[in-house]
Amino acid sequence: MMEFEGEFESDLPRDELWNYFTDPDVLADCAPGTDSIELESPHEVTATISVGVGSVKPTFDVEMVVTRADRPELLEMQADGSASRNAFDAVAEMDLREGDDGGTVAQWTARTDVSGMIASLGQRALGSVTDKLVTDFFEDLEATAREGDPAESKLEAKPDAEASLED
Amino acid sequence: MKPAPFEYHRPTTVAEAAEVLADREDAELLAGNQSLGIVMANRLATPDHLVDLNAVEDLDYVAERADGDAVAVGAMTTHRTIERSDLLAERVPMLPEAAEQIAGPSVRNRGTLGGSVGEADPAGNYPAALLALDATLELVSADGEREVPVSDYFVAYMFTDLGEDEIIAAARIPTDPFPPARTGMAFLELKPAAQTWPTVSAATAVRVDDPDADAPVVEEALLALANAADVPLRVEDAEAAVEDEPLSAAALDAAAAAATEAADPEGEMHADREFKEEVAGEYARRSLALSYDRATNGETDVNVPTDE
Ligand SMILES: Cc1cc2nc3c(=O)[nH]c(=O)nc-3n(C[C@H](O)[C@H](O)[C@H](O)COP(=O)(O)OP(=O)(O)OC[C@H]3O[C@@H](n4cnc5c(N)ncnc54)[C@H](O)[C@@H]3O)c2cc1C
Repeated sequence: MMEFEGEFESDLPRDELWNYFTDPDVLADCAPGTDSIELESPHEVTATISVGVGSVKPTFDVEMVVTRADRPELLEMQADGSASRNAFDAVAEMDLREGDDGGTVAQWTARTDVSGMIASLGQRALGSVTDKLVTDFFEDLEATAREGDPAESKLEAKPDAEASLED
Repeated sequence: MKPAPFEYHRPTTVAEAAEVLADREDAELLAGNQSLGIVMANRLATPDHLVDLNAVEDLDYVAERADGDAVAVGAMTTHRTIERSDLLAERVPMLPEAAEQIAGPSVRNRGTLGGSVGEADPAGNYPAALLALDATLELVSADGEREVPVSDYFVAYMFTDLGEDEIIAAARIPTDPFPPARTGMAFLELKPAAQTWPTVSAATAVRVDDPDADAPVVEEALLALANAADVPLRVEDAEAAVEDEPLSAAALDAAAAAATEAADPEGEMHADREFKEEVAGEYARRSLALSYDRATNGETDVNVPTDE
């Protein structure tokens, strides 16, 4: 298992950002490497995401379930992705705290099991890339919110769901 | 293991290569095949299409740009050609010095600048050298051309700003900031064995105000480290530590400390984190001192340590 974490600060309020974090159309625009996102149900999306590190360039089919959604404080998702010769399971959690002056401090953690060729890149390489991708994601999402593009919260937690890494 | 099957393409122009890349999903460029071959043989990469750039002659050159304020090195220029280029030796000697220290002759004969920058290994010689030279990459795709400063290109570990369907055409190095008469450059690396990748390398360029003065003042210093972080690492604090005064032992100490501080290396089998941080500082120091020495015709009081 690998663990990644990071923090992002914004001067926009949590409640406003929440709509953007839970709008699949915004996610489709801001999540790096995303080719498409489909809302399957209020608590489930499927997506195709390609992320390449060097000459290792898998395209994943990803299924993501919202396991906890406590507006505007906590969002937790479980995802699994498969690509040719690659797979991952992940649980990602984001805590949104109120920052100074009504802004937001988003703290995220992700635990993941990877297998296949991306596993050979190791924690350090994947951590470095994940960090960059998540930072890009937050920055794009914040810029979208700042420009005042409308967002509609469409994701909610699956009832009785519990996030765990499958064995 | 043998690589997975793929379709092979051999374009003869950059435009044709860009066309093939744009039209095919999962295509990979092939340059000197010194890295890609290993990766594919281990099936870490399994592209459906290989686009061999070896017949694209337009990418193999070292030239002064028409306006005279830059030299450009085409992506398919081999380490060997860079090592032996008189133009580079005169205008940007850091590059030939970086090239001649890459692996052994067989890798140098076939490996290319574009392949090294495309691979983006943080231990690579050119990534650090080009960063220290404030170079710009010229990229080509079916959609047109784009330029990216090297400082924006390396994003994370082996992860770059290069698009799926883009080709590195050349690296362009500005020569105005580095007049040969007042500039010294160095590329120094510590490596456990001649044929392997270095533990840490330092690339530096130093320009002084008057090489014949008693104590020439450092006008500008540029320093980048290889393998000291997930990406090639520019250390501006170390540069600032030696700028605006004649080079002194105290300034070098400050620069070395700044390099150690900035380094965030991954531990390796024969070199743990602490050791690599120390080497980063020490090689920053030596490389700056050597560059200053070269900029000032060697007539200085600052000793350049040469022992390993
Ligand atoms: C034993 C050994 C020791 C080595 N030691 C060192 C060392 O000390 N320092 C160092 O710097 N390097 C070292 N190398 C790496 C060497 O420099 C490689 O040649 C280089 O990194 C890759 O260049 P290549 O032309 O062989 O590219 P390839 O292996 O053909 O390609 C590498 C990657 O770059 C991409 N690529 C190639 N050309 C382009 C382009 N024009 N545009 C976009 N993408 C492109 C390819 O698609 C591929 O993903 C070593 C290699 C070996 C085998």
